Amino acid sequence: MDTTIRITDELVLKNPVMSASGTFAYGEEFSEVIDLSLLGGIVTKGLSLEPSKGNPVPRIVETPCGMINSIGLENIGIEAFLKSKLPLLGQWKTPVVVNFYGTNEDDYEILASMLDSKKDVAALEMNVSCPNIKKGGIHFGKDPDYLYSLVSKVRQATNKTLLVKLSPLASDIAEVAISVQEAGADGITCVNTIPAMAIDENTWMPVLANITGGLSGPAIKPVALYMVWEVSKHVHIPIIAAGGAASYRDVIQFMLAGASAVEIGSYALRDPFCFTTIIEGLDKYMQENALDRLEDIVGKLKT
Amino acid sequence: MKDLECQIVSNQMVCEDTYLLQACCDFESWKPGQFVMVRINDSFEPFLRRPLGILAYHESKLELLYKVVGDGTRCLSLKKPGEIIAVLGPLGNGFRIPAGDEQVTYVAGGAGLPPILALAEHIKKGTLIIGARTRSNMPLLTRIQSITGVETLIVTDDGSIGPKALAADILEEVIQDSHLPGIVYACGPPAMLKKTALISQAKGLACQVSLEERMACGFGVCTGCIVATKSGNQRVCREGPVFEAAQIRWS
Ligand SMILES: Cc1cc2nc3c(=O)[nH]c(=O)nc-3n(C[C@H](O)[C@H](O)[C@H](O)COP(=O)(O)O)c2cc1C
Ligand code: FES
Repeated sequence: MDTTIRITDELVLKNPVMSASGTFAYGEEFSEVIDLSLLGGIVTKGLSLEPSKGNPVPRIVETPCGMINSIGLENIGIEAFLKSKLPLLGQWKTPVVVNFYGTNEDDYEILASMLDSKKDVAALEMNVSCPNIKKGGIHFGKDPDYLYSLVSKVRQATNKTLLVKLSPLASDIAEVAISVQEAGADGITCVNTIPAMAIDENTWMPVLANITGGLSGPAIKPVALYMVWEVSKHVHIPIIAAGGAASYRDVIQFMLAGASAVEIGSYALRDPFCFTTIIEGLDKYMQENALDRLEDIVGKLKT
Repeated sequence: MKDLECQIVSNQMVCEDTYLLQACCDFESWKPGQFVMVRINDSFEPFLRRPLGILAYHESKLELLYKVVGDGTRCLSLKKPGEIIAVLGPLGNGFRIPAGDEQVTYVAGGAGLPPILALAEHIKKGTLIIGARTRSNMPLLTRIQSITGVETLIVTDDGSIGPKALAADILEEVIQDSHLPGIVYACGPPAMLKKTALISQAKGLACQVSLEERMACGFGVCTGCIVATKSGNQRVCREGPVFEAAQIRWS
């Protein structure tokens, strides 16, 4: 049985199960809990040029079958990451995907060129879709023409595998995906959180200090499935799914819809051991369905 | 940190809205001030675990004391003996246990009772000040009043038990003639913690506070639970929940 997934020649996963950005920090805490070598890929918290303090608390609120967060991309900054976190991450036999974001175009370019020379970095995941920061973030991700020029610039700055993470808010996600592909991206991550909010009817106040945040977890899985399906019909570069995956069954569903791999985000906050159970579940599914190569099912939805 | 499937032994209302849950559990070690993340159901409702301070752990039995404040805790309160909950923990740092003959004072208010009771039952000395809204709001009264070596002072907003006062005001009287070195431990509403910190500082006493914040993971990966400290943002679930009060940037 072969669970290998080839995203590019540089990004080959031993199985399609990855962590998602922002729910795995820089891997240290999880390394105390699970064997990181089992994972298909590790995606880091979103990094910026300078350290970022993020938004005030409350930053988290639960919703039916999910949660809203307004972390605001708090991170230690690229320098500290390269110095103190990347060497630890590089020890595991698992490709490291560094998620990054800028508050302007130059930031994106500088970050990409800084990461380009690092041997422990297998791929870059460019976040153009965070709903939680005022500058940059989601605004970069909505307009296909703007995104084309931004991704082209980053493409010039790095030879590493370049993934672009899309927002479910794009008015036409297929159009956005096509421009990302034309600009030279090697893959598309689909999707980031969905802008959302929660209100306390007793105090008449928003629950999150930032007022709004991003919805994630099983609540958004049907939307993410649809987006993966929609994008897969229009691009030929690999798609990595994110959005509510919580079981091996979800992983199979995303793969049938067209995803080569699947990031597990919010569910891992609730169940940090889920990566192991999901990977085991995939093996069992392959046995039961007499599948030799897991990659063969990508995009095989019968319609 | 382990995720343990724990069978509920009992889960009973001990006063208005507050429940005492006992479950079979196997911790290798734990410290007063640590907490657990409880997964209430296998289904996605509620989706996140609930952070609950450890009230006690002995002979493979975990005790949690919780107030029903929302859908998650309501769900938990409906669990029957024999049912299973998943318990991730013990998590966080726990209190610093005094090494010598420091004079010990504890201040607890509202939902801040469990970690402070755990600590007092462990240290077995000092003065315990508890602030409650009213008598019907005050759980485990007999147990609290009989903690070995600990003198208990209960105050309420309406005078239904003890004086009508705030816990932090009583603290001022209690530590008035205290000798140094001494330490004050506190857990409860932010206003109470801030006041406790200021009073202790003015007296030259060490002060540790256990903070509460909304949590998603409870083990440090989401940064949902940060507090502003003098050395920057720290995670309540990982660097805390117990902090030196002098380190906190009170808002
Ligand atoms: C607490 C939290 C923090 C996140 N931080 C980031 C981030 O830094 N960068 C990013 O691209 N996405 C971030 N995300 C989005 C996730 O990576 C993922 O795309 C989204 O949550 C949907 O997947 P899920 O439903 O499995 O969580 C974050 C999500 C959560 C819940
Ligand atoms: S709750 Fe996730 S970091 Fe503390």
